[in-house]
This record gives sequence, structure tokens and C-alpha cells, in this order.
Amino acid sequence: MKTGFTRAAAPLVLLCLAVLAAAGCGAGGGGSSANQVTVWMYPVIMDPKANAAYWGGVEKGFERAHPGTDLRIEQQPWENRDQKLATAFGGGKGPDVVLLGPDQIPQYQANGVLRPVDGAIRSARAAYRPAALKAMTLDGKVYAAPIYHTVTSTLYNRRLLAKAGLKEPPATWAALKAAAPKLKRAGIATLDYSASGEASLNMSFYPLLWQAGGRVFDESGRRTAFAGPEGVEALTFLVELYRAGAVPRSALTNANLFTDQALGRQQVAMGYTNTPADAALAAQAWGSDNVIVGPALGGPRKQVVFGMPGGLGINAAGRNTAGAERFVAYMTQPAQIAALGRAGGFFSPRSDVTVPGTGAHAKEYEAALAYAFPGEPHRAARQLQALLAPEIQAALTGEKSPREALTAAAEAGDDLLARQR
Amino acid sequence: MSRVESRATPPSPEEEPEAAGPEKARTPVATGPAETRTAEAAGSPETRTPEAAGLVAAVAADGTRTPVATAAPPEDRTVPPVTAPGPPTGRKSAARRREALAGLAFVAPMLVLFLVFRIGPTLGAAFLSLTDYRLSGDWAFVGAGNYARLLDDRLFWEALGVTALYTALYVPMTVALALGTAVLLHRTLWLRGFFRGLFFLPYVTSIVLAAVIWKWIYEVEDGLLNTALGGLGLGPVDFLGSESLVLPSIAAASAWKGFGYSMLILLAGLQSVPREVTEAAVIDGANTWQRFRWVTLPLLRPVLFFVLVIEAIGAFQVFDAMYVMTAGGPVRASYSLVYFLYDAGFKFFDFGYACAVGLVLFLVVLVFSLIQRRLVGREVD
Repeated sequence: MKTGFTRAAAPLVLLCLAVLAAAGCGAGGGGSSANQVTVWMYPVIMDPKANAAYWGGVEKGFERAHPGTDLRIEQQPWENRDQKLATAFGGGKGPDVVLLGPDQIPQYQANGVLRPVDGAIRSARAAYRPAALKAMTLDGKVYAAPIYHTVTSTLYNRRLLAKAGLKEPPATWAALKAAAPKLKRAGIATLDYSASGEASLNMSFYPLLWQAGGRVFDESGRRTAFAGPEGVEALTFLVELYRAGAVPRSALTNANLFTDQALGRQQVAMGYTNTPADAALAAQAWGSDNVIVGPALGGPRKQVVFGMPGGLGINAAGRNTAGAERFVAYMTQPAQIAALGRAGGFFSPRSDVTVPGTGAHAKEYEAALAYAFPGEPHRAARQLQALLAPEIQAALTGEKSPREALTAAAEAGDDLLARQR
Repeated sequence: MSRVESRATPPSPEEEPEAAGPEKARTPVATGPAETRTAEAAGSPETRTPEAAGLVAAVAADGTRTPVATAAPPEDRTVPPVTAPGPPTGRKSAARRREALAGLAFVAPMLVLFLVFRIGPTLGAAFLSLTDYRLSGDWAFVGAGNYARLLDDRLFWEALGVTALYTALYVPMTVALALGTAVLLHRTLWLRGFFRGLFFLPYVTSIVLAAVIWKWIYEVEDGLLNTALGGLGLGPVDFLGSESLVLPSIAAASAWKGFGYSMLILLAGLQSVPREVTEAAVIDGANTWQRFRWVTLPLLRPVLFFVLVIEAIGAFQVFDAMYVMTAGGPVRASYSLVYFLYDAGFKFFDFGYACAVGLVLFLVVLVFSLIQRRLVGREVD
């Protein structure tokens, strides 16, 4: 009898070989070959078509300028950005070049996966805005070459302000507190806020902390500093607004979005960390006549907004670091910075390049750029946010006083900093 | 086979088309597959084994059920009884070995994939949990250090508490919903397939999509539920912003999303409860509730056990719904164990620690399943 085994043997052997071959290819195919440069890019240009067209053009342009080099720009989503990058680096399959923000640099640098880009930006160095370069610098070395600069500022809904009888958009904490009761009488909340655990504090609590004159970390970077009197003042300001109904209750689950949040839905009159992209969306949703972009919100001590450079970092374990450096040098040329700024609505990190303003509010954002602060880079910056965010929620829900909440977060934060290797 | 089932009478002619289905696949050859038949047929109207045939005869001799017994269609009796295999000869045992090898060869691809993609990573995680693993690939052996740290970590215990509470809310909610709809569907003859599909639909929906929609439903300002409550002069209720309401709210949304699978399993279980048993209960004067409580439910026990275990394991691994709806908030009131693991791994880059959390979760689920097996599955075997 010819059994099933004999009959099945040949196809099974083939299948096993195919599986093994596929696994083998997978294991070997992750890195780039000698003349290939892989880049991880994100949808920095919001319109997907424009994004694809722009980066497609960069690929062609670079390959023309550097014959023999195979440039591969891989588009990644913003979601779970660090998770994917950490996994790739951890598995030794990171890209040669990756887009990084200042607050990402310390943790990757501490883990030894980034190579300084000083060599690649030798010719561009003098032209950079000092603040942009400083944000990307750690221990005297630059770890990401800035290719654009973002900025946020206040965004007001003119129709809602008028409904409450407000003639001037509130531009300071004091004006905001004074406007809140008037807006409440008109059935409108005053200030949009994002307190979700996944919302970056750079776009929610930290600007208030900086406006109050506070800091997240102390000078040495070994201890937290947000629980000082300035921090308490900032959190008290927020909690009082929340209790009075001036910050919508949906704030607890809001996550720094515009569209699916109270501001976009015209339930609240203003935001204070809104991007030019938000202003463009607002123009579509509310009508451009109703959109006001104001100056950076002024606190009791400072007028400051969040805005940071985006830059290209190089994988220390990449197979083609020479190619990676050539690509970084290519992207930091004035022509490329201007082109990317135009396509994505960004500002220039170089003082010798001005991006011709295309957006309706380019002038206001250009003015806010002078008050832009890129955050406090620290290798534990993102981790600390995970500890602080729930305590801010505890203060908002009334479970803890602002001081208690910040003290609890500071204790956990100092533990975290002490544990850093 | 249990005592209840051994009272089974042959199916009436109207029932035959349904009952005949699996029987036709049955061959009279008394080899391996036939031995598994009894287990497979448990719970279905099984009248073909000599044992059952004898019982039918007994019932007939009793005089009361004779008409039913003789109503069985003729082909019922044409299936020869299972013959016991003779002592294996050398040739036969060689053939059997070849068959076993063939079987092994057929499962080999799956086995290889399972070993490579399931068991391998699990062992890898177990090893990583004993190390301090860095992004750059450098690592140091720390022994039980990660586990010791875990026992001291307040957040870990909080997350474990949240997960346990969520499981305690989600599992009864889902199983009750699944059992309720399964019973209703079982009784529905009209458009049963349509309703079955309709109830199953949420299960095949993406959890992220479902969570986003439920977030809108629960919203304080202008949410569907709060608008409805407002119409009744109640609320607004901050479903996702209140520490006491957030877990029940997420559990309810997840139950809506997840009950379809258990419903199908329970429906299949209900359909395999022999009709004769419930008919006998009717004759004994049991009302609907008594029939359900004392006849159907005990027979459903193995299925119910399976459903409970599967749902409990799913509940212990909850993450997506919380990530999307509340990001663990407010004040970590919905911060589950897997969320804690995710943060340890991907926010804190503490891979060794995250692996330790993963293994602890595995142990918790294992112990929980064993306890459940003792409590619910006592009579399964």
C-alpha cells in the first residue's frame, strides 16, 4: 500500500524548504547593502499625495547627484513611532537615517544607537539658528541635523468669542481667566486641553509650566523640578479653569488632536498649542473668517510656546554610514530646506533660508517662532511624561491637590532618574 | 457517555436529515478514527453503537416508547456494529507506524511554525526576563532582579488590580450576553442565520474602530448616551472620566464587541443538547426555567467552561480598548497589566522588565485557568 506518508513526503519537503528559505531571507534582508541608504520618514507633509510626490522627488534628485547610490525612503506612520524604532534598533535592523525630534535623541544616544552628524553638517553648521542646533546637541555633539522647524501658537474661534461679547482674544493667563465667565454665560468653554495619558506634555502641561517660569528637570538633569512653586501655580491655573467648566470635561481623554476634539467641534473658544496644520483644518471647518492665530500665550513670567526642529539622525550600526552622511548633507542644503518648508508648511531651521509663506497665517506663526522653545531634552523625558500625566489627571478630577499631585509625580520621577543607567 | 444521554431514543423521521449528516461520513472500518467517534458523537443523538441499540430494545420492551423506537428509518439499522480489532500482526503494526509517521508529517509544517513563532519567542522572553537588555543589543544577566523589582512596584500591583477587576466585570457580562443571545437564537427559527450573522458582526469589527465609536457614545459633551440621558432629565455622566465608571464602561463596550464568538460556541453547544432529554424533562413536568437550569445548563457545562476560560484569558490581556478609549486614565483607573507591560517595553525601553511582566501574566492566566477548571470543569472528563 502506498501510504499517505510517501505521497505527502515530496510536497512537505518542498514546503519546509520554502519556509526555511523565506526565514533565511528574512534574517539576512533587513539591513542595507553597501550602496543602499534606507531612510525612515514620517508623514511630515499632511497631504499624502504631496508627501509621496515630495519624497519621491528627493529620491530621484539624490540618486542623480550621487550615481551608484540606491536611496530608499520608507514612509512610516507617526503612531507608535518610538515603539517601532526601538524594536528595529533593538533587533539590529534600524534604518541608516531616521527623522528625530529633540526629545527622542537623549534616550537613543544613551543606548548607543545614534552616530553624531557633525561630519555631515560641517558646511551648514554656521548657518543654523543656534536654538535649532542646540536642541539637537548632547554632550557637545549634534545627533540630528535639523531640516525643518515646527511652531505652535494660540488659535481662536472668532465666532465664539463674538458670541460671548469678547472684543480682544485673550492672550495672557489673566485675560483668559477674565474671559472664562463671559464665555461660560454664552455656553462655551474657554480653553482646549489634552490630559490623555498618550498626549505629549510638550503640547499640554509643559508650556504652562514654562510660562509660569518653571522647568521640567533641574540644571543637572538628575532631578525633576516641576513640583516647585511655578509648577504648582501652572497646575492650579489649569485646575481652576477645569473646575469652573472653562476647560471642557472631555479634556481627560483628549489627545492633542484638533478634529475630534472640543476645539475642532466649536465647543471651546481657544487652544494654545495649535500648529499651522490645525489652523488650516480650522479654516475648512469653521470658515477662514472665523480663524484667528494669535501670539504665543503669555503666562505670569514668560511668553513661550512649544516649537521644535525635526532632524535627521544616523544609525551608529548602519551598514552605509558614508552614504547616510551624504544624504544628510544633501537634505540640509538651502534649496532642500526651502522645498520641504514649502511642501509641509514648515519654518526654516537655517537663518539664511526663509520659507516663502504659503499658509494664510504664516506671518503670525513666523512671529511666534521667536518664542518657540523645543522642550527640555532628557533621556528620560518621555518616561517622565508617563509618570506625570496620571497625576495631572488626579489633580483635575480633584483626587489630589495640585501640590500633592506634582509632589507624587516628582517622587516617582526622581526614582526613575536615579534608576537611569 | 453520561447516564442522561444513554436514555436517548432514536431520532424521529423529521429529525433525520439533520442527524444523518455526520453519520454518512462514517465508515464501517474499525480502525483508529472509529475509536474517536464516541467522543465526537457525545451529545448528539447516537443510536448506532451496540450499547445504545440495546437500550432502545430495553425501552421497547418496557412498552412505553415502542412507537418511537420503531419509527427509526431502516438505514439506521444497516450500519454494522463496531467490531473490535484483532491482535495486531507484524504487517499491520508496520502499516500503523507508517500511518502515524504520515500523520506527523502532515502536522509537521504547523508544528515547525508553532515552534519557531510561538514556543521560540516564549522561551526567548523567559530568558530576556532574567536580563537587563538595552536597545543597542548589549545585555547583562540580572537573575531574578526584574522579578524582585516587580514585587516592589506599586504600579504593577495597581495594574494587576485593575486587570482583575476588569476580568471580574467583563467575563460575566460577556458570557451572560452570549448565553442569552445563544438561547434566543436557538429558539428562533425565523431568519436565524441572519440574526446569527448580525450578532457576530461586532466580533469581526476592528477593536480600535469599535473603541473609537464607543468613545463617542460615552462622551460627556454631546455623546449619544448622555444626550439620551439628558432627554430623560439625567446626567451628564462622565463615563470615561470617572474612576469608578471607567472600567464598567470599557467592559461593556468590549463585551458588545466580543460576545459574538462565545455566542456561536454556546449556540453550537445548545444545538448538540439531545432533544430527547429536554422532551423527557417536559414529560416529567419541568417548566421552561427548570429545563434550562437542570437539563440544558449541566449539559452545556464543558462548552461553558471553554467559553469562560477563553473570555477570561482575553480579559487578562486587555489593552487596545483602554489604549484607544482612555489611555489608561483617569489616574490609571484603566491601566491594565498589558498596558503596564507595553509602557515598560516601549516607553521605558526596559525590555527585560517587560518580559518579566509578560511571564507573570502568563502564570496568572495559567493559575486562573487551572482554578476555573477545578471549579467549572469538574465533570468535564
